[in-house]
Amino acid sequence: MDDNIFEKLKILSDAAKYDVSCVSSGVDRKNNTVGSIGNAAACGICHTWSADGRCISLLKILLTNDCIYDCKYCMNRVTNPTNRATFTPEEVAELTIQFYRRNYIEGLFLSSAVEKSPDYTMENLYRVLYLLRYKYNFWGYVHVKGIPGASNDLIQKTGMLADRMSVNIELPTRESLSLLAPQKKVENLLKPMALINHEISRTIDDKKHFSNTPRFVPGGQSTQMIIGATPDNDKTILNLSQNLYDRFNMKRVFFSAYIPVISAPNLPAISTMPPMLREHRLYQADWLMRFYYFKSEELFTETEPNLDLEFDPKMMFALRNMDKFPIEINKASYEELLRIPGLGVTSAQRIIRERKNAELSYDSLRKMRTVLKRAKYFITVKGKYYGNINFDPDRIKDEVRQQEIQKQISIFDLV
Amino acid sequence: MDYLYDGTFEGLLTCIYYHYKKEKATGIFEVKSYQQSLINDFERIETDANKAKIVSNAIVNKISREAYVHIYYCYLSSNEQKEIIILDFLIFAFKYGNNTMNFYSHEKVLPINEISLKVSREVHKFLGILRFSDIEGILYAKFSPDHDILVLLIEHFADRYKYEKFMIHDQRRNKAIIYDNDLWQMIDVDVINELEYSQNEKLIQDLWKQYFTNMAIKERKNTNLQFQFVPARYRKNMTEFH
Repeated sequence: MDDNIFEKLKILSDAAKYDVSCVSSGVDRKNNTVGSIGNAAACGICHTWSADGRCISLLKILLTNDCIYDCKYCMNRVTNPTNRATFTPEEVAELTIQFYRRNYIEGLFLSSAVEKSPDYTMENLYRVLYLLRYKYNFWGYVHVKGIPGASNDLIQKTGMLADRMSVNIELPTRESLSLLAPQKKVENLLKPMALINHEISRTIDDKKHFSNTPRFVPGGQSTQMIIGATPDNDKTILNLSQNLYDRFNMKRVFFSAYIPVISAPNLPAISTMPPMLREHRLYQADWLMRFYYFKSEELFTETEPNLDLEFDPKMMFALRNMDKFPIEINKASYEELLRIPGLGVTSAQRIIRERKNAELSYDSLRKMRTVLKRAKYFITVKGKYYGNINFDPDRIKDEVRQQEIQKQISIFDLV
Repeated sequence: MDYLYDGTFEGLLTCIYYHYKKEKATGIFEVKSYQQSLINDFERIETDANKAKIVSNAIVNKISREAYVHIYYCYLSSNEQKEIIILDFLIFAFKYGNNTMNFYSHEKVLPINEISLKVSREVHKFLGILRFSDIEGILYAKFSPDHDILVLLIEHFADRYKYEKFMIHDQRRNKAIIYDNDLWQMIDVDVINELEYSQNEKLIQDLWKQYFTNMAIKERKNTNLQFQFVPARYRKNMTEFH
């Protein structure tokens, strides 16, 4: 590797760092090819955390930032006079292997600007993956971007070498997309998603009959959209993610708070702070949809199409649906337990397990390290209510606010 | 009777054996850290693999494999009361059999659960934050974990770096695991002098540091959050924090 590798790495990781996904989970693969390096752990492994508190698990780079498109929100757009660089496939492979050997990373997240044409770009991505898998014998985690508009054949053979593939939906609505990324069409973004989903289910099916069939992106597909560049509300955003989960079996839908990197007439001003609290609330709501059996429509009312910035979405849901509470800890089903604000999957499982032996007391909840700060206003234990105030949404809000003032939680340091 | 053992897991299980078959234990202690008490007699127990096996089989068969794993993790922790916590747990657990682990918050069960959770969290963390450097073709990593987790790391790294030679060095406990060609062994290690890195090694480290610094989005700076994930005591051996 020569000296300008530093410059290339700088430019091409700079351009990739706004991509949020850094997940390395979902694939369990032992190292079983002779002479190879690497495995994949189903739980995912974070390797370090950067100064913004985000985890670093993968080497996240673009193959090139040379782009034919002119998306208004992107610093690689063709009309932006920025430094351009392109890695050779060998450089990418060498960097990945050397970082991986030192346990800096779990694998590679390879993305690219669209250089010349979608097919040309996809072909290059495929080449890198092929080199990495078969010449460098690398079997750690690889996440690759699917390029909208590339041929099915290319997406298909790249997917056979990757652990995860993602196509970015970019923006929450057709209108926003045509305003900011006029060269991208919704249909072109959805087409590769459908193809990836189809290939995943096909190879899973084949595997039932032929155990040696290789899996197509065993870690599934994900996507991401930018939040706050356009006036779309949270309801629209979450309905879209629900749709994406349902239609394409997405593993994750990521949100990225828009950070103004350039000024343009249709965009928020350069001085605008990224809406990080909103992004955080959207992720919490997304979590509710994936692990807590919530549907997106339950979170909103006719008059309230946005999440509450002050309270987390589950708390907000409880405050708007007081008739469903309080919930009796000793009788509630698992799904009901999960609806209690502040109560997570671990706590719910512990409760279910432990109450097989004897009725739970409030004290045993505390010993289990159940977070009762918010939960206590929405539960009864052996019929007794422990909130110490009237069961009234405004009173509860006031109490929780008081607690917050006494002990600021870290998320508010962000804003 | 205070039973003293040699610090091995088999030794600890042998003491449990004597608790049931000979005389009830008032406490179990490691020989080298034992402070003789005024009231209790003590006896030094020779580690006996057969007796240990009888106890471990009983744990797995009469309680559960889950309990066995928790006990082992607890044994690896740096908790100073771990032996008595394990003994108390077992006295309770042999009564309640395979229902034991459902008493999550019971005073005899909770400590085992919490200590074991701490140990497994540290293991998971080090799967990510352990840093190797290439010293003439051999990968070398040093670290100072809170708990004695070296033995819990080997399976992962032996698979990940199956065709490499490597060494993981626990500086706090002066021991290391060396791995080569599908075989690993635990060895005692004294001080290893500051290593001289090759030009190429320095180049890779610098690339990594540059990448690491550059990945932080400055508009989102949040070093408090970063400290929650990577506490200061872990940073000493992490390339990117130097």
